[in-house]
Amino acid sequence: MHIDIDEISKQFGATAALHPVSLAIPSGALVALLGPSGSGKTTLLRILGGLEFPSSGRVLFDGQDATHLSVQDRRAGFVFQSYALFRHMTVFDNIAYGLTARPRATRPEKAEIARRVTRLLDLIQLPHIGARFPSQLSGGQRQRVALARALAIEPRMLLLDEPFGALDAKVRKELRQGLRDIHDTTGLTTVFVTHDQEEAMELADLVVVMSMGRIEQIGRPQDIRARPASDFVRDFITV
Amino acid sequence: MLRTPRPPLIHRSPMPGLGLTMGITITMLSLVVLLPIGALLAKGASFGLGNMWDVVNRERVWAALFLSFRLSFLAACFNLVFGVILAWVLTRYRFPGRRLLDAAVDLPFALPTAVAGIALTALYAPNGAFGALAKELGVKIAYTEWGILIALIFVGLPFVTRTVQPVVEEIDREVEEASATLGASRLHTLRRVIWPMLAPAALTGFALALARAVGEYGSVIFIAGNIPLSTEIAPLLIVIQLEEFNYDAAAAIGIAMLLISFAMLLVINLIQIWSRRRIGHV
Amino acid sequence: MSDTSLPFRPATEETPLTRRLLIGVAVLGLALLVFAPLAAVFTEALADGWAAALASLGNHDARSAIQLTLIITAIAVPMNAAFGIAAAWFITKFDFRGKAFLITLIDLPFSVSPVVAGLCIVLMFGANSLVGGWLVAHGFPIVFALPGIVLATMFVTFPFVARELIPVMIEQGRAEEEAALTLGAGGWRVFWTVTLPNIRWALLYGVLLCNARAMGEFGAVAVVSGKIRGQTATMPITIEMLYNEYLSVAAFSMAALLTALALLTLLLKTALERRHADALAASHRH
Repeated sequence: MHIDIDEISKQFGATAALHPVSLAIPSGALVALLGPSGSGKTTLLRILGGLEFPSSGRVLFDGQDATHLSVQDRRAGFVFQSYALFRHMTVFDNIAYGLTARPRATRPEKAEIARRVTRLLDLIQLPHIGARFPSQLSGGQRQRVALARALAIEPRMLLLDEPFGALDAKVRKELRQGLRDIHDTTGLTTVFVTHDQEEAMELADLVVVMSMGRIEQIGRPQDIRARPASDFVRDFITV
Repeated sequence: MLRTPRPPLIHRSPMPGLGLTMGITITMLSLVVLLPIGALLAKGASFGLGNMWDVVNRERVWAALFLSFRLSFLAACFNLVFGVILAWVLTRYRFPGRRLLDAAVDLPFALPTAVAGIALTALYAPNGAFGALAKELGVKIAYTEWGILIALIFVGLPFVTRTVQPVVEEIDREVEEASATLGASRLHTLRRVIWPMLAPAALTGFALALARAVGEYGSVIFIAGNIPLSTEIAPLLIVIQLEEFNYDAAAAIGIAMLLISFAMLLVINLIQIWSRRRIGHV
Repeated sequence: MSDTSLPFRPATEETPLTRRLLIGVAVLGLALLVFAPLAAVFTEALADGWAAALASLGNHDARSAIQLTLIITAIAVPMNAAFGIAAAWFITKFDFRGKAFLITLIDLPFSVSPVVAGLCIVLMFGANSLVGGWLVAHGFPIVFALPGIVLATMFVTFPFVARELIPVMIEQGRAEEEAALTLGAGGWRVFWTVTLPNIRWALLYGVLLCNARAMGEFGAVAVVSGKIRGQTATMPITIEMLYNEYLSVAAFSMAALLTALALLTLLLKTALERRHADALAASHRH
């Protein structure tokens, strides 16, 4: 699915978190929103996911206006920075949540739900942890469970907020490859937010550098490296 | 086979004041709490199990215990629902007067029970402001079970709210958002994600309110009719026995109530252990 | 163009109707259960005007009740504060077996009916008991006298200060005290200059609650006091006696006095929660 962001702005009270920004994300791309804190990257991601609504502008999914589509109807697989796993549910129930929450008419049968959860556990290479609770998992395992939970609803796109933010360096590297693999297998349009330029450059097809609510540059990693569009971009990617 | 050595009773520590603070703690705890409770149990032991059973196993005592329990349970149920709503409203919503309401929740903790008792009676007696209104509707509140229920609701009011409030505050908004992004309606999120997080605290508050209500005396005796077999609560029976210098009978009923309190204390602890196991915190 | 004026509700909020409904339930419930009784105390006290209310507080019995309540609190509250500090220090600065059990024992009075608490004191120290009989024979009666009322009051308010201090001291850890020790400070010096400044607001909070409950205790005191007018009748006991004699204005005037104290307690408590939240137990931070 391709996503068009058309002159989106966002005001929080008197402060502008996003000045009107426009961005076209081609179908199946792996996009990084890169910038320091306060650059508006997370706000933009949350607007895509339906967790914030823009003050002006439109969001188009496959050319259709989705600006006012409710978060429940968007089918955006969202992975939160804190993972936001449900502590009182097992890993299995966490992943199955999006399916069991559906109204009876569209809810898959129990056996079908179990089959899908098992398949997702295999996909994240943690086949035997279904009965565990989130508190019994390592940070890296939690991140992968959050990813599986987001994939369970058969999302139209994958949105990740600082997906590797809370992990140590070694696990980060492993999981980066894991995300790349999942992206390549599922072919989902994927947008992730990061403040780590190395992560963005290594992982993404397309990098969007943001600062103070504006998009500074959009381009392939190698192009941004070769031709930074502004002093800010040059400083930020050569840290 | 290697035996792991038992840990020492008290670990060595460079901190000063071990002897002094341990001495004060144990001495005062014993003198003020443990020895008096021991005296009650000793009284019961010397009176004998059979005799105690004969005292408790009378219609009037059963009626009082049953009444205390039934109404305390109903009051705690009311406070469970109302307390959770109150905790939610006070932490999640911003509206004028919120701080006043928040402070008011603690009034039942701060107001002496005798004051609460006569104030509620003044309001709900047939010639009181609310009592007169109820009378026109054909309902009598004060001097009936309704009156007792209102008093017990009053004394138990803060427990659920105050145990649930910090938990509501701690809920990670991202968890609620996660539920929404997975397609769940708000109601589904409340039932399946938020309520399970609040439940252990709410149940703890429920048990605390129940325990408090079962033993409550001051706020109830004014508004209850205190009629044997109908509106006489269990603590009042102890007072009546004491006024007749019938210490054995008072001890028998007192021990029965003490056992009930201990059972509830146990339940509260079990709830907390259970919740810690499940979600890694209380 | 999209219509940006369309009402938007964040995913973590209820509909405005639900919100209004829930706020309404909260306001109505507290109005009926808390604010109405509060108003009733003062309207009943002032039913015959200010002069009658004040006069009822001026007679000998009323003054002796007020005096007695002040004396009891002046003994019981500092004693429990001292206990609370010692117990919190013992529990948080040392590691020993049975700590959880000790905490349960300290909390015990909260789950014992005040009437049963009073009964325990009577059975322990009453004239018929071993200890009580000896004490009475030597001219030091406990039950139906001041010491018994103080003991009963201490029993029911026993956990307040300890319960406030323990979580705060656990959170603060032992590092600061250990640092002071390595710098050569002695035990008392560490307590006065390091620990006490860190726990003072929590201590005040616990003392406040302990004091409110001590002044208002009824059930336990009713059992041990013998309700002797002018001698062992505390303020709450006097309220009961006046009320049962249909002296409504006098009963409610004294009740108003205690209510004013309760309101003052709440005010101070709220102020502490607002100004010094980070120095209180986590459950009070809201």
